[in-house]
Amino acid sequence: MITVLLSLVLISYGDVGFTLSDEVVVWQLRFPKIIVAFFAGGLLASAGLLLQVFFQNPLAGPDLLGINAGSSLGVALFIMASGFLPESVMTIGQPFMAMIGAMGVFTLLAFLVHKNLSRISLLILGLLIASFTSSFISVLVNMTPSLQVKNFLMWSMGSFQGQTLEELPLFIFLSFVGILLLITLPKKLNQFIIGEQYAKSMGMNVRSFKFSLILICSLLVATVTAFCGPIGFIGIIAPHIARSFLKRSDIRLVMPAVFLIGSALALFTELILIFTSQYSLATNSILGLIGAPVIALYLYKERRML
Amino acid sequence: MIEFKNLSVGFNNKTLLKDLDGKIEKGQLIALMGVNGAGKSCLLKTLTALNPKRSGELSLDKVSYESSSPLDLAKKMAVVLTEKIHADFLKVIELIHLGRSPYTDVWGNLSDADSKSIFEVISLLKLERIQNSFFSELSDGQKQKVLLARALVQAPQYLFLDEPTTYLDIPSKVELMKTLKQLSHEKQMAVFFSTHDLNLIEDTVDEIWLIDDEGVLHKKGPVDMHLSGLLQKNFNI
Repeated sequence: MITVLLSLVLISYGDVGFTLSDEVVVWQLRFPKIIVAFFAGGLLASAGLLLQVFFQNPLAGPDLLGINAGSSLGVALFIMASGFLPESVMTIGQPFMAMIGAMGVFTLLAFLVHKNLSRISLLILGLLIASFTSSFISVLVNMTPSLQVKNFLMWSMGSFQGQTLEELPLFIFLSFVGILLLITLPKKLNQFIIGEQYAKSMGMNVRSFKFSLILICSLLVATVTAFCGPIGFIGIIAPHIARSFLKRSDIRLVMPAVFLIGSALALFTELILIFTSQYSLATNSILGLIGAPVIALYLYKERRML
Repeated sequence: MIEFKNLSVGFNNKTLLKDLDGKIEKGQLIALMGVNGAGKSCLLKTLTALNPKRSGELSLDKVSYESSSPLDLAKKMAVVLTEKIHADFLKVIELIHLGRSPYTDVWGNLSDADSKSIFEVISLLKLERIQNSFFSELSDGQKQKVLLARALVQAPQYLFLDEPTTYLDIPSKVELMKTLKQLSHEKQMAVFFSTHDLNLIEDTVDEIWLIDDEGVLHKKGPVDMHLSGLLQKNFNI
């Protein structure tokens, strides 16, 4: 099953490579996109998986819970303020602020869930956070000089294409840190799936595990959001696609599949963008066209559970 | 031996029961009774270190809970809870494997010893036929058995079950009681469970612990408990 998924990734990878011809300049332009889409898709998908396990909620995802929005707020503050900041903090500042924003929202949600929030209220709260941050950002936009606003609006469209070769190493570095941290989690996630109390009874330190989930998941979302802007849907649909293909729950199998499906989704979106380049479509609109029906289908199939 | 003195239990900064004394020894089968809301679950969760105690002393084999690591406790005691498990596509065998978590490496890989104890538990509870099914598709009785199997592969000396008979039909209840008796008397495990099924336990258990409506914990053998009239008084029978 995984090989099928892998080949799917490879085909889309190959197609992207194939349409591009082998001129060095073009290759240098296209190559970062492929790398970025591969990692960004995978990281977002994994973050979605972590959130779904953490909140025991199959509809959790970085966008629906407002974690993307938190990241965006961090980035907005950073870009708006960038006129006043020294040159030296420019590269690291954006991911750092995105991280702060993501962690802020996640910690708030984790605290409220601790106070027995229901599954549905959690999602509504996520929507509220998203609309709060977007209002806050539009206030910021109105108060800021136009150059920074333009930068921010470009970023907020969401795209795997914004990276230059200079930014690429930092992105890849952060992605690898994220992946290494993910690799440490499967056993504990498996214990956590059957419930916090059971996990605790099997000797797990639930409090520190939850804290590390918040940290890791925020890092994943922040890395992607800082470099690619807020990207929707991949985080919520990839885990569902993986589970319904594999029909297993063991995270040791599910997690790599989720990562690869996330990558495949991102690469597939890029592929569509290339074929439709004369219309210059937005990444998020294509993901929305794929993602929303998938979620609707899931809700229909699992209507008893919610 | 699990021992507690002057123990207070509760949750969310509220004390539910206080001044509790008692001990649980290996090989004992103990039923905890009390009306709904008396604090049965709360006491059970405190004894299994899932909830922190409010005050008092609580120790396992003379070592207090605070000074033992969660992992050490997990190797000595296991629980079956009433909480529902919401996991799609979770296979029975995988759920049972999880019980070995305190013993497995960081990846959760099973050693030969792990596989052996899993095999033993599966044949003890006769789960061979359903081990490859999905947990979510089982009947309540089967689910309860699988959760018991998960707890047993943890190789506990002390087994705790929170209202294990509640959702079961009569034959499953009887079968479960038989299994619990077997575990305590043949395997020298301490088995402690909360229940409302008085008629089911009276001939089976070694001790009945009753939390009365004033929050006092009474501990007696089933015959003495019957004669004392406490059960009749508390359950209006």
